Amino acid sequence: MGIRARVRELLERPGSANLQRYRPIVTRAGERERELREYSDAELTAAANRLREGTFDKAGLAQVCALGREAARRTLGERPFEVQLLGVAAMLNGRVVEMATGEGKTLVCALAAAGYVLQGRRVHVVSVNDYLARRDAEWMAEFYALLGVSVGSIDQHSTDAERRIAYRAEVTYASVNEVGFDVLRDRMRTEASELVTAEPDVVLVDEIDSVLVDEATVPLVLAGSAERAHGDPQLAGLVRKLKSGTHYEVDADERNVNLTDTGLDHVERELGGIRLHTEEHAALLTELNLALHARALLRRDVDYLVRKGKVELVNRSRGRVARLQRWPDGLQAAVEAKEGLAASPTGEVLDSMIVQSLIGRYRTVSGCSGTAMGVATELAEFYKLSLGAVPTNLPCVREDEPDRLYETAERKQAALVEYVREVHETGRPVLIGTASVAESEQLAAQLDEVGVYGVILNAKNDAQEAGIIARAGEHGRVTISTQMAGRGTDIRLGSANGRGGERIARLGGLCVVGSGRYHTGRLDDQLRGRAGRQGDPGSSVLFTSLEDPVVTHNIAEPRPPAQVGEDGQVTDRRCVELVRHAQRVSEAAHLEIHRNTWRYHQLIAKQRELVLTERDAVLRGERAAELLRERCADRYAALREEGHERSAIDRAARLVMLFHLDRRWTEHLAFLTDVREGIHLRALARETPIDEFHRIAVAEFAQFSAQVHERSASTFEEVKLTENGVDLEGIGLRRPNSTWTYMVTDNPFGSEEERALAFLGRALKSPKTDQD
Amino acid sequence: MLGAFRSAFATPDLRKKILFTIGIIVVYRIGSTLPAPGVSFKNVQSCAAQMGQGGIYGLINLFSGGALLKLSLFALGILPYITASIIIQLLTVVIPRFEQLKKEGQSGQGKLTQYTRYLTIALAVLQSTGIVALAVRGQLFGNCQQEVIPGKDNIFTLAVMVLTMTAGTAIIMWFGELITERGIGNGMSILMFINIAARLPNVGEQMLQNAGGLTFFVVIVVGLLIIASVVFIEQGQRRIPVQYAKRVVGRRMYGGTSTYLPLKVNQAGVIPVIFASSLLYLPQLLQQLVGNGNSWWQRAIQTYLVDQSNPVHIIIYFLLIIFFTYFYIQITFNVNERAEEMKKFGGFIPGIRPGRPTSEYLNHVLSRITLPGSLYLGIIAVLPNFFLGLTGEQNSQNFPFGGTSVLIMVGVGLDTVKQIESQLMQRNYEGFLR
Repeated sequence: MGIRARVRELLERPGSANLQRYRPIVTRAGERERELREYSDAELTAAANRLREGTFDKAGLAQVCALGREAARRTLGERPFEVQLLGVAAMLNGRVVEMATGEGKTLVCALAAAGYVLQGRRVHVVSVNDYLARRDAEWMAEFYALLGVSVGSIDQHSTDAERRIAYRAEVTYASVNEVGFDVLRDRMRTEASELVTAEPDVVLVDEIDSVLVDEATVPLVLAGSAERAHGDPQLAGLVRKLKSGTHYEVDADERNVNLTDTGLDHVERELGGIRLHTEEHAALLTELNLALHARALLRRDVDYLVRKGKVELVNRSRGRVARLQRWPDGLQAAVEAKEGLAASPTGEVLDSMIVQSLIGRYRTVSGCSGTAMGVATELAEFYKLSLGAVPTNLPCVREDEPDRLYETAERKQAALVEYVREVHETGRPVLIGTASVAESEQLAAQLDEVGVYGVILNAKNDAQEAGIIARAGEHGRVTISTQMAGRGTDIRLGSANGRGGERIARLGGLCVVGSGRYHTGRLDDQLRGRAGRQGDPGSSVLFTSLEDPVVTHNIAEPRPPAQVGEDGQVTDRRCVELVRHAQRVSEAAHLEIHRNTWRYHQLIAKQRELVLTERDAVLRGERAAELLRERCADRYAALREEGHERSAIDRAARLVMLFHLDRRWTEHLAFLTDVREGIHLRALARETPIDEFHRIAVAEFAQFSAQVHERSASTFEEVKLTENGVDLEGIGLRRPNSTWTYMVTDNPFGSEEERALAFLGRALKSPKTDQD
Repeated sequence: MLGAFRSAFATPDLRKKILFTIGIIVVYRIGSTLPAPGVSFKNVQSCAAQMGQGGIYGLINLFSGGALLKLSLFALGILPYITASIIIQLLTVVIPRFEQLKKEGQSGQGKLTQYTRYLTIALAVLQSTGIVALAVRGQLFGNCQQEVIPGKDNIFTLAVMVLTMTAGTAIIMWFGELITERGIGNGMSILMFINIAARLPNVGEQMLQNAGGLTFFVVIVVGLLIIASVVFIEQGQRRIPVQYAKRVVGRRMYGGTSTYLPLKVNQAGVIPVIFASSLLYLPQLLQQLVGNGNSWWQRAIQTYLVDQSNPVHIIIYFLLIIFFTYFYIQITFNVNERAEEMKKFGGFIPGIRPGRPTSEYLNHVLSRITLPGSLYLGIIAVLPNFFLGLTGEQNSQNFPFGGTSVLIMVGVGLDTVKQIESQLMQRNYEGFLR
């Protein structure tokens, strides 16, 4: 360990945790190995159970590692390497671990989970999607059984009863969305017996960068159905005829679209000569804006798919269909109108929560990923987690070639096709990573033309995922994928049954080709990591162009390259650097979004907690009955005289109060969303938007409790008690189905100094451009 | 406000932050009074007393909290750091590499901060060398004949002085960052505030000696009135309602009262005053460079421009402030850009079309509100000039209840209190359900 690394660790710089300190534990575990081999299965289980009784110290840790290793060897046929045990020891000490792909993270997580359970803790193993959660739970079932640890798993089809059982197990596998939605759904229950989740204790996060950072910008939202919003097909038709440039303009970063003056005139005329920008027509204007957004910014097969008469969102960073996601606030309906589909029911946000709040409920957080280092800062800032890297078991011999940059997207595409054809001729398997469903299909067609027949793996045929991946390492195979073939997929060289691997290795292993850089370098690394697992040979190269979205979205005016080769390849060093710069800008923008989401949710989370504490008191205790007995003594007495049971009245009181608590919270959230939308304008008066937001939120919340009591009391006065309890129709709760993200930045104007500087910059630069 | 402070102290981690800030301020004040090694404290004291508070370094002295004319450890104050950050900020629009770094978020910003620090040190070396040189030649204190640096022939002594002052600046910079990071408020602003506030007792004492108790009392009362009115006007806003049309909202049960575009009465802040006074500083600088001559223009400059109690000076100052107010608002509040941005995010002012009509409307409102704003700035800024006779001062910058000082102090004060309040609100939630 160099001096620099030591200093960094001393300063607690993100990503500097020294995991080598856990080495002695691993060594001790190794010493126990021979002895444990002699144990029968029953003895092994008994040994594990003995650990539950003792206190947990270094010896205990070593014993856990040793037992885990032996159990894995017997049940999975895999003996964990030293480095894997090192990872386990680090995770048991609450560190986040970076381990390269193909090093067996799943097993490390399972060992760590078992380790926590044997300390008497309860563990949730959280991953990015249902597929991985189910796969891992099934794969590790025997392993846990041998150690006497109970395990359960949840996916989106699980019933409440199944969920309750799974949460009661000592180890629960689930995707982050499912856990989040269960927590959200639980906060809407009206009977204590209906609760599903258990007290959160330890969470181990697989692919921690994806779950805690990439997903964290999108709050989990619980929505209940409200009025059915409908996209107006007529508006969609009207918008379809508008022309880009003349009638509307799209931003460079393709986040916003606006009507031009001509466009506005045209639309106002078509709509019968009205003035849209008035209070009166605000609703129509909103629908028009949404229709335009759907028309100009959301592309079929890139942002969404149309399957079985439904619009399905594609998650950009995963390349998968995001099943539970919807566009917010009428946009979904606008897209459905654009595609001429029937409108799906729309929702009202009942409650929402960000991943930070979800993770913050756990007493211990740990996790691992192949690309955690890139988010070390975020993990430290938002989750107070410290991170260290585990070395690979065998050195990685994959060759990462420098990027090949082309002037135009067309030339890049041509060069890529040519490259793949050449590699394909040698028989090496090729994996091509693309940015969207549309691109993957287009590329496949182009490869077809030159006689290379590839297999497509994208969100459209995700059902065949496992089969396609299993064969991706075969001789002469070309797989064209979206980001789907990123996390969690393990591509073995040779055919599915493991034959022919050596032959492929002699040819040079798997060749990974990227058709551009993603919006963060971590995704590039994930793609590259598909090759070169566990010391396999392999290579990777990314083809980029100056017309790639990552460049055009993030750099206003890229410099034209100075040197362009005959095939259009740009060798200009500064230009090549430009692409990296664009990616860094994009990463910074994402971090900013993340940070803002986080900052604006902190106070809401606090208020939410208070409401939930109150709600819990109502749900499990006598709070509602006490309150209403006191406030509406006459009514209470009257109900008693009508012959209602005391318990029935109390139950009614509880339901009434729960209803108003939830209702008021929904209103509160809607109010805050509204405030949030325009709060950035405050920066113009040199106020801090976040502070102003807090001021408003706090003032509004001050009346929360009183209003809930008041409304509960007045409902209680009127409500009828029937055989079936109280009659509170129209609170039909639905499954969570909506997501929502906020605007990019807190202060889009820049600070006052920045604006003055911008003026100066323009003044300084304009004479220069005159000379050109 | 006092209530806010009381509850702030009742909140443990907020109390920690405030105490931390106060601790830093105390250390900073101590450093400001400690003379640098090699300085004759007694002689400096008497020289400074002889000279009064005028002179070419008046403004710098003000911003260093009087530390400069004590030749203290922190003689340079926070100014090199501020200058350095302004320069680096300027460079980000000129140098492409800096521009790139700025856009790359945290890591890029980190590098820029690092450059700012280096530049601060460089500036500090330059400035402290200059000051030591001036002090050695006896020019720092006007015509004072006493030796402020007894060992001035020894190059080693001088080098140590330069070194300590530079180190002092580095420490101040660190203090500023510490306050921003772990304390309350913006470190740079707070230190600036402290520098200005620290001079108040001194000035008050002089006033008491020169003008007597009654005047002193009247000035204090007037001063408090000025501060109160500044606080009042600083919070004055014109709120233009804005509506957003990008989301379909179910039922709206509340008026959109919280979404508006605020225009401050004093939209320009303190900058126009600083611009105007720096510009009016030039003739004085010129005069000091060429010395006191007797040709007609030199006399004219002396009478009309340098003498701050002359009506011509006051009127020019006043007009310059009004001009700079309009100019600065024109720069920073680009109505076209605001209108474009509102359009981009789907916002509009009800009844007004986005784009050109919106920017015209904004321009109209802005120019209406800037007039009283600029008059107010002008009045606040020239007020001390009328009091000059009372305090025996020659330099209006040193008068604590007017111009730059009061605007900066009130601005920083309001910001800091707001921040404390905001943090308080986030934390103090106990007893909400009662």
